[in-house]
Amino acid sequence: MLQRLALVNRILFQLAAALTVLMALLGFAIVLARYGFSFGSIAAQELVTYAHAFVLLAAAAATLADDGHVRVDIFYSRWPASRRALVNLLGSLLLLWPLMGFVLWSSWGYVGNAWIRREASAEPGGLPWVYLLKSLMVLFAAQMILQGMIQVQQAWRDWRGQGAA
Amino acid sequence: MIALLMFLAVCAVLLLGYPVALTLGGVALWFALGGIVAGVISPAELLAMPSRLYGIMINETLIAVPLFVLMGVVMEKARLAEDLLEAMAAAFGRVRGGLGVSVVLVGALLAASTGIVGATVVTMGLLSLPTMLKRGCSPAVASGTIAAAGTLGQIIPPSIVLVLLGDVLSSAYQQAQLAQGIFSTDTVSVGDLFVGALIPGLLLVAAYILYLLVLAWSRPHLLPQPGLEQRQADAEGLARRLVFGLAPPLLLIVAVLGSIMLGYATPTEAAAVGACGAMLLAALRGNLGWRQISEAGQQTARITAMVFLILIGASVFSMVFNAYEGDELVHRWLTALPGGATGAMICVMLLMFLLGFILDFIEITFVVVPIVGPVLLQLGLDPVWLGVMLALNLQTSFLTPPFGFALFYLRGVAPPQVSTPDIYRGVVPFIGIQLLMLLLLALWPALATWLPDRVYG
Repeated sequence: MLQRLALVNRILFQLAAALTVLMALLGFAIVLARYGFSFGSIAAQELVTYAHAFVLLAAAAATLADDGHVRVDIFYSRWPASRRALVNLLGSLLLLWPLMGFVLWSSWGYVGNAWIRREASAEPGGLPWVYLLKSLMVLFAAQMILQGMIQVQQAWRDWRGQGAA
Repeated sequence: MIALLMFLAVCAVLLLGYPVALTLGGVALWFALGGIVAGVISPAELLAMPSRLYGIMINETLIAVPLFVLMGVVMEKARLAEDLLEAMAAAFGRVRGGLGVSVVLVGALLAASTGIVGATVVTMGLLSLPTMLKRGCSPAVASGTIAAAGTLGQIIPPSIVLVLLGDVLSSAYQQAQLAQGIFSTDTVSVGDLFVGALIPGLLLVAAYILYLLVLAWSRPHLLPQPGLEQRQADAEGLARRLVFGLAPPLLLIVAVLGSIMLGYATPTEAAAVGACGAMLLAALRGNLGWRQISEAGQQTARITAMVFLILIGASVFSMVFNAYEGDELVHRWLTALPGGATGAMICVMLLMFLLGFILDFIEITFVVVPIVGPVLLQLGLDPVWLGVMLALNLQTSFLTPPFGFALFYLRGVAPPQVSTPDIYRGVVPFIGIQLLMLLLLALWPALATWLPDRVYG
């Protein structure tokens, strides 16, 4: 069940990966349009911003799974696997969950408010989906909490497994 | 006082090795909880979180980050670095010390686009260490050159850390001016910082090269000249290799920097153009299929998520730090130091140098600069000069034994015949050059501020 949910994080990560390339292409097209044809589009620029926001938030959970978030590994890299598992176990329980729980809790009302107003861009010609953009915060926190569960599960297994052996 | 305690607690927990971003935010949150329970801080102080997070999401400047990362990753995937190093080595190989010089130049050219210490040092180490050793360089000189060249990318634009530093400094600068009652504020941009870092960065490259040439002439056994056979092999097809190896990345970087400096594009736009340019170059060389694009996208997404999670964690940290009036505490301390701006600057530089032993550039930029930046700028320091000084300082810290980041990463990829003392010995002269450069810049701030003044008026 948990593993299947983790697949969601992986799929969202793949989408984010594709968006990085699309962002570059769209950004290039915007520059071309401005200098080549004196044509500017607020909507297109906002699309780049949306893509960027999606990448930085929705890719975070899978990056955690891939151990892509920097650690200060002066000691960590030399420790035995069981101690590293303990660090990850306690870190997820005491640092990741409270932090992401806080993000989820604090952004809930903020995002809900944007939904009620169906908040749109303040710029003329901008995109009408600011409430969806803001919802990415909730998605991000939920994804991270989910990935935290998987980390806890794995770390528990590693810690116990090593401890018994 | 609690703010200081929190800072120390974060440093202690960081050493356990849980991801930095989550540690920063998580530990700060526990302190916030304690403060709320004890009635020292009000919960309302934390409610700014969603609007801060939203500010990060829609920050125009920071969009340059994934784009520059993509540019660097594509250049790496397309094996541009290998060809570049080979072409350079062939071109300079006939000169004594030429191989070392080409390693420095490649480091400066390529590192510019990634700017993450580990990545660059590892790439450079894997790429050039075996070649240098094979051609008879002493292990100390080879590893010192590579470690130093790998960190050059921090200071040479368009580096990602300069983008991040520029963004943080620009808000620090606004804050400083508002605190002084200046409401028609001056601004400092990422472009300013890019342009300001250019002369000090190039001077640094020149100093590295000069050192290597002098060394090669005075101690030829450390950096021997290649044999006749090698030189003949090098000379073959040199012109073609130079055109195909050197021209593309050089053109790309000149185009990106040039368009920013001439005011045709913002750094974000230039980054998009640079990323597309890198993909085009890779495609022209037949090195860009779907698989490469997909891998480049994934690596970019991973690095981007890593950078921004640190920013998110650091913003929770600074929110709580300020709730405990840590900003005022730092302000009081720094302004009470003897020597005014100079004393405060020296103190901050030392602190950052030490922090550079455990934290990477990105974390320091997000955690420390927002706290000390406004105070230093209120004391009348120039923001561009400050940015370049900080970058140079951290770069030196990364090279300094025994904790320097660059040395760890190089150790990880160096063959066993290169001993750790070799690496330490090799970087010492480069640290000397770094300190000299810092001193020069401290005495003549115009090295950093003259060019931005000329370009932007």
